[in-house]
Amino acid sequence: MTTAPRAVARPRSFEALAWLFMRYSGILLVPLVWIHVLIQDVLVGVHAIDLDYVAMRWATLGWRVYDIALLAFTFAHGMNGLRNVLNDYARGRRLRRALDIALLLGWLVISAIGAVAIIGGVRAP
Amino acid sequence: MSTLRVPLEGNLTYRGREGQWAYLLHRVTGLGTLLFLTVHILDTSTVYFFPSLYEHAIDLYRSTLFMLGEIALVFCVLYHGVNGLRVALFDLRPSWWTESRQRVSFWYVLGLSILLWLPAAFLMGRALVVHNFGGG
Repeated sequence: MTTAPRAVARPRSFEALAWLFMRYSGILLVPLVWIHVLIQDVLVGVHAIDLDYVAMRWATLGWRVYDIALLAFTFAHGMNGLRNVLNDYARGRRLRRALDIALLLGWLVISAIGAVAIIGGVRAP
Repeated sequence: MSTLRVPLEGNLTYRGREGQWAYLLHRVTGLGTLLFLTVHILDTSTVYFFPSLYEHAIDLYRSTLFMLGEIALVFCVLYHGVNGLRVALFDLRPSWWTESRQRVSFWYVLGLSILLWLPAAFLMGRALVVHNFGGG
């Protein structure tokens, strides 16, 4: 049996927007993450990566912008994914609220740490 | 025994077969990638906050255990991406929403993920042998 296409009402709730974000950021992350992994993990490799290598890469503004985009989209996509998973198991309003606050704080703090590092750049040890 | 087995099986097989394997693998690969991503943001941030710690972090990533984990991580990233695109594509085409198409599509996703992963796994595996076992 095939399902006939039908129009459905699209709510403008937070959850609807979060769902849309997952879809669009997911499509964007396929090239963004795959290129990053191909270059850094497969072609360059962890044995060739050190402070000098990071400094050299971040000397190009384009790579800093690339890394900021990676940080913003991967971590938001991942943390919202974790929120979806936890919502499958966490019953009760209060527990969900506590988890939401913890995830929001963790997301903001770690995103800020990463952003400061990318903008601040490599410092001499 | 049966009292233990029934709820356990009930949890492990929700609807079973390809649809659930696709869902479960999507979830596990997503959570695994997020775990690494969190650590990776923090270890990279040491280049600004504690530059002398960065080399220690990289040394850890150069260990055999972490390099094997890195090869697994690449599979997670590939499968999660390919399967995510499958989900998005199926949403656009309601005429594909048949049980058989959904089942077959899981095997295509798994096959394509492994196909993309094999050359990457080969190159990373070779780097592991060259650097950690002096071979090549």
